[in-house]
Amino acid sequence: MEIVTMKEVSFGYGDAPSLVNLNLAIQQGEFVALTGPNGASKSTTLKLMLGLLKPWSGSVALADKLPDGKRLEVGYVPQQAAAFNSGFPSTVEEFVLSGRNSRGGWLKRRRPEDFALVEEALNRVSMWEYRRQRIGELSGGQKQRVCIARTLVQEPDWFVLDEPVTGMDRESRLHFYELLEEQVRIHNRTVLMVTHNLEEVSEKLDRGIELTRTEDGGWKCCTTTLCKGHFSQGD
Amino acid sequence: MLHYDFMQRAFFAGGLIAVIASCLGVYLMLRRQALMADMLSHVSLAGVAAGALLGFNPTLAGFLTAVLGAMAVEFVRRSYRAYSEVSIAIIMIGGLSLAVVLMSLNQHLTRSFSSYLFGTVVAVNKTELLLLAFVTFTGCLFFFLFRRPLYLLTFDEETARTQRVPVTRLNFAFSVLTGMVVAAAMPIVGVLLVSSLIVLPAALANRLSPSFAWAIGLAIAFGITGVFAGLTASYHFSTPPGGTIALILLLIWLLGTTLHRGWKKLGSLRAKRNPVSLNA
Repeated sequence: MEIVTMKEVSFGYGDAPSLVNLNLAIQQGEFVALTGPNGASKSTTLKLMLGLLKPWSGSVALADKLPDGKRLEVGYVPQQAAAFNSGFPSTVEEFVLSGRNSRGGWLKRRRPEDFALVEEALNRVSMWEYRRQRIGELSGGQKQRVCIARTLVQEPDWFVLDEPVTGMDRESRLHFYELLEEQVRIHNRTVLMVTHNLEEVSEKLDRGIELTRTEDGGWKCCTTTLCKGHFSQGD
Repeated sequence: MLHYDFMQRAFFAGGLIAVIASCLGVYLMLRRQALMADMLSHVSLAGVAAGALLGFNPTLAGFLTAVLGAMAVEFVRRSYRAYSEVSIAIIMIGGLSLAVVLMSLNQHLTRSFSSYLFGTVVAVNKTELLLLAFVTFTGCLFFFLFRRPLYLLTFDEETARTQRVPVTRLNFAFSVLTGMVVAAAMPIVGVLLVSSLIVLPAALANRLSPSFAWAIGLAIAFGITGVFAGLTASYHFSTPPGGTIALILLLIWLLGTTLHRGWKKLGSLRAKRNPVSLNA
């Protein structure tokens, strides 16, 4: 099943087009990395997929429901999520718990399972001991981990992560890739991650998609690299 | 003091508006729209002037204009996403210039306008009190029912949208409510000081609170303290109530901020002197 399909999508800011005739599809249960140089419109591609931006032309079809009839839940971590409003008066625990807001209606009472999920997610990103701290008092890497914990708590069917390892040390990054692989292989969730560290994570990926410049005038198209282990070259 | 009917009404009206304005202020400040209250009060003044000129109830005309102004600011904000204060400046210029022109067309309004500019909480009439009660009830209900999507929206609109928060409709409802609160608060502190009720309690609460829920609660507590203390001081010293309330809110903010800074400095000094105990 295709989670999202982009057909002949073109988009730009102002008068200058930055993406031209982009064709791309993400399948359910895939672990995909989106790479490309700075300014290659990687974040823009994610926003087009999520419906946060409207394409100039072409179509973007985001699945509404999964094959089992459940509504598709998207867990989005934007670029530089750690640069959020540092004065925001919220504890780490309160912030991570807000990941449950979209589950089961806005007025539903919090259940013990919700708090258990928060504890588990914060432990997974090694931030449980900071749960009572204000999020604005954390370092950049810690804020990033807290944002990831919030997305984990959401239990999304599709993780859309825009440079999620910014500010993390190598050990944390490797630990994080393992966590994502577990989401894909064990829980059959889908991961699309923008990264500049492709070589670090390539062993775990199904596909790497690279946005590259076209020869005629600086527009971008995409090339797909099949990664070892999960796809044969003929797929 | 409280055996006077007008003082009872003033305390009741002041308490109501302190609750809803302080709560609204927390969200406005975090959305970087702290000046929106100031802007809407100026726009509302144009409505008051138009109402008086055309023979409508000035209070209701001001109320409607503030709501329309809030809707307009939301519309302009979408064109200036990265600079939301630009939309506020644009609508404020429109409102204030219209108010000045309309006022000049009606020379008999000078006295009435001074009451809108500086507030007359001790002369709050029944219509204004009912309007206040309605706005406070609607506002509290709105903030209670939508507290979770509003939290997501206030933190980051894009992420909220991906979590199926109806961002556009919620922003619109929020703007309308802001207009309603500002218009209802005008009789208490007046056009010139209405933002003091919205911004000052929220500014202090956001700084002191460990959590979002605490920020709302503390802002309301500071707002009520400021309004009640201001009304009491105004009664005893025969000072204008609007200005006295705003001054007391400013004093509370100053005291709270100074104590908070001192407490933080003391904490860092302790940490420098005894780093081992912190690591234990």
